[in-house]
Amino acid sequence: MKTIKTILPFLAIFFAVSCEDRLEVVPEDNVASNTVFGSFATINGAVVGIYSKNQSGDLNGNPQLMSDFMSDNVNFVGSFPSLQEIDQFETLATNVSIDNIWLDGYELIGAANNIIENLPEVSVDDVTGLTEANKAVFVAEAKFLRALTNFQLVNLFAQPFQFENGSNLGIPIVTQPFEGGDISEFQLERSSVNEVHAFIEEDLLDAIATLPADNGNRAESGAAIALLARLHLYREQWAQAADLANQVINSGEYTLAGDYDFYDDNPNSSEHIFVVINTPTDGPQETTGTDEVYTNFYNPAPGGRGDAPFSQELIDAFAAEAGDRRFDELAQPATDAGGNDTFFTTKYPDIVNNASDGMALRITEMYLIRAEANLRNGSSVGDTPLNDINLLRNRAGLSNLTTVDLDAILLERRKELCFEGHRRMDLLRNNQNLRPDGGADSAPGANKVIFPIVEDETTNNPNITQNPGSF
Amino acid sequence: MKNRTHWLCMLFLIGFFSVAAQQNTVSGIVTDFEGVPLPGVNILVKGTITGTQSDFDGNYVIEANSGDILVFSYLGQKTVEIAVGASNTLNITMEQDAQALEEVVVIGYGNQEERKIIQNVGIVKEEAIENLQVVSADQLLQGQSAGTQIVNASGVLGSAAVIRIRGVNSINSGSQPLIVIDGVPITDTAGNTLNRGGNTGINPLSYVNPNDIASLTVLKDAGATSIYGSRGANGVILITTKRGRKNSPTTVTLDVNTQYSESTDVPDILTADEFREFKSEVATLQNGTLTTPEDLGLGAIGSGGTDWLGGVQRTGISQNYNLGIRGGSEKTSFFIGLDFQDTEGFIIGNDQQRAGARINIDTDINDWLKAGMNLGITNNRLNRIGIENNINAPFTTAFLQSPVVRAFDDEGNFLQSGSFIPNIFARVALNTDELKTFRVIGNAFTEVTPVKGLTWRSEFGIDKLSLEEFIRNAEFNTPGGFAQQIFINEDRWLTNQTLNYSDTFSEDHSLTLLLGLNYEETLRTRSNVSSTGFLTDDLRNLGSGSTPTVLNADRNPSRLFGLFSRATYDYKGKYLVEGSIRRDGSSRFGANNRFGYFWSAAAGWVLSEESFIRNLDFFDFLSIRASLGTVGNDRLGTFPSLGLFNAGPIADYNGESGVIPNQPENPDLKWEESRTFDIGLKSTFLNGRITFNTSYFNKTTSDLLLNQVLPPQTGFTSISRNIGEMENSGWEFELNTVNIQTKNFSWRTNFNLTTIDNKVLRLNEDAATDEQGRRIIDGPIQRAIEGESLNNFFLIRYVGINSQTGDAEWLDANGNITNDPGSTDRVVTGSPLPDFSGGMTNTIQYKDFDLSFLMNYSYGNDVVIDGLRFADGNDAIGGIVNVRRQNLNFWRQPGDNAFLPSPTSDTFDLFNQRSSQQQLDASYLRLKNVTFGYSLPESALDRIGGFFKSVRLYATATNLFTLKADEMDGIDPEVTDDIDPLFQGESFFTAPQAQSYSFGARLQF
Repeated sequence: MKTIKTILPFLAIFFAVSCEDRLEVVPEDNVASNTVFGSFATINGAVVGIYSKNQSGDLNGNPQLMSDFMSDNVNFVGSFPSLQEIDQFETLATNVSIDNIWLDGYELIGAANNIIENLPEVSVDDVTGLTEANKAVFVAEAKFLRALTNFQLVNLFAQPFQFENGSNLGIPIVTQPFEGGDISEFQLERSSVNEVHAFIEEDLLDAIATLPADNGNRAESGAAIALLARLHLYREQWAQAADLANQVINSGEYTLAGDYDFYDDNPNSSEHIFVVINTPTDGPQETTGTDEVYTNFYNPAPGGRGDAPFSQELIDAFAAEAGDRRFDELAQPATDAGGNDTFFTTKYPDIVNNASDGMALRITEMYLIRAEANLRNGSSVGDTPLNDINLLRNRAGLSNLTTVDLDAILLERRKELCFEGHRRMDLLRNNQNLRPDGGADSAPGANKVIFPIVEDETTNNPNITQNPGSF
Repeated sequence: MKNRTHWLCMLFLIGFFSVAAQQNTVSGIVTDFEGVPLPGVNILVKGTITGTQSDFDGNYVIEANSGDILVFSYLGQKTVEIAVGASNTLNITMEQDAQALEEVVVIGYGNQEERKIIQNVGIVKEEAIENLQVVSADQLLQGQSAGTQIVNASGVLGSAAVIRIRGVNSINSGSQPLIVIDGVPITDTAGNTLNRGGNTGINPLSYVNPNDIASLTVLKDAGATSIYGSRGANGVILITTKRGRKNSPTTVTLDVNTQYSESTDVPDILTADEFREFKSEVATLQNGTLTTPEDLGLGAIGSGGTDWLGGVQRTGISQNYNLGIRGGSEKTSFFIGLDFQDTEGFIIGNDQQRAGARINIDTDINDWLKAGMNLGITNNRLNRIGIENNINAPFTTAFLQSPVVRAFDDEGNFLQSGSFIPNIFARVALNTDELKTFRVIGNAFTEVTPVKGLTWRSEFGIDKLSLEEFIRNAEFNTPGGFAQQIFINEDRWLTNQTLNYSDTFSEDHSLTLLLGLNYEETLRTRSNVSSTGFLTDDLRNLGSGSTPTVLNADRNPSRLFGLFSRATYDYKGKYLVEGSIRRDGSSRFGANNRFGYFWSAAAGWVLSEESFIRNLDFFDFLSIRASLGTVGNDRLGTFPSLGLFNAGPIADYNGESGVIPNQPENPDLKWEESRTFDIGLKSTFLNGRITFNTSYFNKTTSDLLLNQVLPPQTGFTSISRNIGEMENSGWEFELNTVNIQTKNFSWRTNFNLTTIDNKVLRLNEDAATDEQGRRIIDGPIQRAIEGESLNNFFLIRYVGINSQTGDAEWLDANGNITNDPGSTDRVVTGSPLPDFSGGMTNTIQYKDFDLSFLMNYSYGNDVVIDGLRFADGNDAIGGIVNVRRQNLNFWRQPGDNAFLPSPTSDTFDLFNQRSSQQQLDASYLRLKNVTFGYSLPESALDRIGGFFKSVRLYATATNLFTLKADEMDGIDPEVTDDIDPLFQGESFFTAPQAQSYSFGARLQF
């Protein structure tokens, strides 16, 4: 007995020996960065991740909502001071709503850069299933998404091309992924709008050359061509715009949908060139949970908040011609957050799951681009502007026009693409005030028709230049 | 009665033997030094088994031969040995045994005699808390111990309190102390439940029944905490539960009480008609033409409305039942605790039912082996409500909702509110939000003593938390319905192995050596699933919805391995030194910094043992001590150092699985480290009448984990790096006095006061800077500035309404009056940190009556009630929200001393912008707890049959009275909506504390 009780305490030492090497614990719900390029599944996953980032409400949803608040299609009836600032052209660099657009934008660009820079280095011999061909497609998809995001950012944070013929400040062009090292390579100065546009064009041309014509719901060559058509329209390069829009229309991949059911959970509609697909289990929200505010705002209570009803001008625009299916089928009467009876769009109907799809590029826009570019260029590539516009009017249940001018095309564009985030740029690039009877602060070229560079950027990057105005 | 029969039996037997052995009968009376008879004294004839006990009146009778030695022994008294002489009467006076009365205090991985402690610990003993009726254990600490600040976050049931030991020691890694229950460090529960507005989570101390607690020890300086190594930096609270006593009869304590609670104070807001008149008068002035409430769509005066604020409050009625059974035989002792609480909060929809059970057993297997077990189980069901700044929070919504909005139609059916501010009555009545938790905390131990002085203690402990939260929103509130269910399991198992050796050499040298090992594994598993698309509200559960979604499903493991040692030496109990060291390894630390070393050294000098002090004949006790050491904070998250890609919905797209960059790699990441210097004095004088303790500390936390903000172009928002440095220093005072002590009347006062100065010494180099070039962490309300306190309210200074012009006036950055201030005019306007804070307890005893007052106070701190931006002024949320009554006082003509500007002033709508207008003086003195009790005297107990050992009837009131600034009218000063150190003292519309009255009885038999 004596021996036992003397020996017992030494048992404790065995614990000491056995515990030491148990401290190495690996995560179960994350992938360590050094293993991402180790298999075809995780490489594909890293590309899928870029699409997922593009789903963020801060890249597809909220920017459209904020553009609407700044233009004349939507009334602002809300309580969020950050959105009120935007509505009243008083946006500050500290604005919490615009902050996430910038941050999410560069997060997407970082994730795309990771593929664009690192994937070409991966040898096809090391990864089963990886071929030079699918490697190139992955890189091209990343370039398309990077171009889409750069275009979104430059439209919001820089004056349009029309301001100083594109020599005005754009956004920083980031081409490398951050891997934990030196941060000075990520404190770049802003490139000019022309340089940013050139970079976008370069990405898109690479994508057009590599992407297949049909790639399911992922980016395909038609999407890159369509986005490039929009870029040329914004740069007033009418011939290229008309030609590229015409290419998409004639590609045979996309046709005008017979009715307007492509908004509600119908990503395979022939209408879509590139659609941001949200599903109930995989919506626009991120971990922070505020990314889906746009669905809340575009929909009335209960369910939504009712902060973004139709403006009176838009109601009037539709009322001018009775029987417009785009109003009759895509608007609902309800009370807004301020208690007024008005109308709300039904383009984002899934308020329960916030799973409405984002309209990134659809074929209707190509007809509108072709019509506008042909009219401005005096050409009729593909078809005449009048025929293109009447095609859209017929679908809306309206009668044919006999002539069209620029105003008629812009009006058709407004009614067709309202609540899809186009209106602000359409007004600015056509040198029109963002508000009917608007003053100097909503006029094209005014300081706050664009967003300030966000404070996170200005405080962490000594090389950045803020937009003019008081921030 | 039974005892008396035994005693009579024994007398008879003794009598029988005495006849047989022809012995003398010795008798007498045993008293203590004050002459009070001592019952139950053991009396033994030395060297024999002949023995007896004294009776209730101290009398004894024993048979002994002349020359025999009688041994008198009694707990807490010096043992007396006396030889039987010629006389047959021996009256004995026993003396108090100072050594035996010396209280033993629980410290980290051991116990220590109170007078020999040179660590800085706050001790809350059983006597201090046994008569305190509280709902959760944190309230036992409130106001009781210097340096420990506890702020109840809100009056919502189950809300965590903000507990700070010596201030805020961390910016991003949490400043809550480590809580150890009977040797088991419990897991942090923050983040295990859904945020309900107000980032406060569920109270971790709601998992221990306050009635089971024997004592609490708060470890404050590094001398005390460094034995907890990488987890000790925020202080440690050791909770010891009640145990049985060996050789004592079993006592049963039953405590039953009923409590009524309501809110302490709520702002006065407008009724429907006042609201209509206010809006119409303002609009009339602004439009220049008469504008009626009907014109504004508010309905006619007298057309009714809803008292939302009245409707979300009620008188909550609660029942508490508590049973404790305690006892012990020669070898085994036990404590059994059972507890049931059925609590109703004062806010609609907020209820809690808690049932708990505890078994603590200790047994001596033989003279060298002991074993025991502590096991506490709690089962909790909580109906949750939104706490704050959340449209589902009854208090927030009731303030904001327009009083003209009707809650019910004429048939009594719920009506939609028509705005995004919902009909809160419908939300509470129709929706379900139920949190169920089950937690087991316990350990089993063996103690081997192979040779005298050496003990090996081996403990295995668990902390198992199972949590289920179920949310079901009805069709009326959420079209299509919504259900969400979260399951979380947080399991920890651990072992502590300690070798303890203590010995005294040559009478004067005492040495204690401790060697130990601590290994812990923690695994947190979560699944969080939601579903939408329900046909009817009767289909309750996730499976009945059309669209189930997995929101989270993950597992986070972590492991900790520590080796530690402590050596304590004293010479004649006069000169004391102590040193400790701990080496901690954690799976959370980066590969380059996996192990950390933490140490402390302390020295003390008991001056009252020196003759030159003893000769003064003034001090009963006097000592000084000092300590220096290091401790760490390991709350870094689970895998903070690895470069990670996230998976799941955040990375998936259109049914394909994806991964997305989430965290850049940082292999150098390690714990935050605090170095504390502490110096203190303890004294007792005037025959124990006055005890005065004081200490000064200086604590520097380096390697502070800061989120270094990355340039957004990196695609990451931040990276965690050990870059910051912060200092806390302060004084602690404790004064305990026995003001009056007579036979029938006593009055004691315990008072404590703490001051803490916080200073941020260094922020990251790339941090944002202010105009003067100082580095800052900026928030909308507060700003941390390098070289100043972590918490500063940083706001535009509001001046008031110009009585001549009717314009609101602010100060610009230069101190000039302005009517249009901007964000560049923000300056430091106040601080949420008090200049000093503390508590005071008065205990008064008169015969069988006792009365105690516990007060706590805080001075020099401010709060910012951000919700006032909505509850004051005219235009918040398009003017649809209700406002406080003082808004009726708007400027109408020159000379008016108004609250609101003139409705026609340009500043009218600017008035409620964020400024010091919402900053209020939060100094307060609060009567936290008043308890009045009456214990039935023994004569009465005898008269009711002698069945009860004691009967106590009591009444308790909490938060009965609060002294605070006038501008705080309607606002509780003791609120905060976030446990995050950077947001202290901010509130939107946090529900105030409850004011409660309870009545109960405690029966012991």
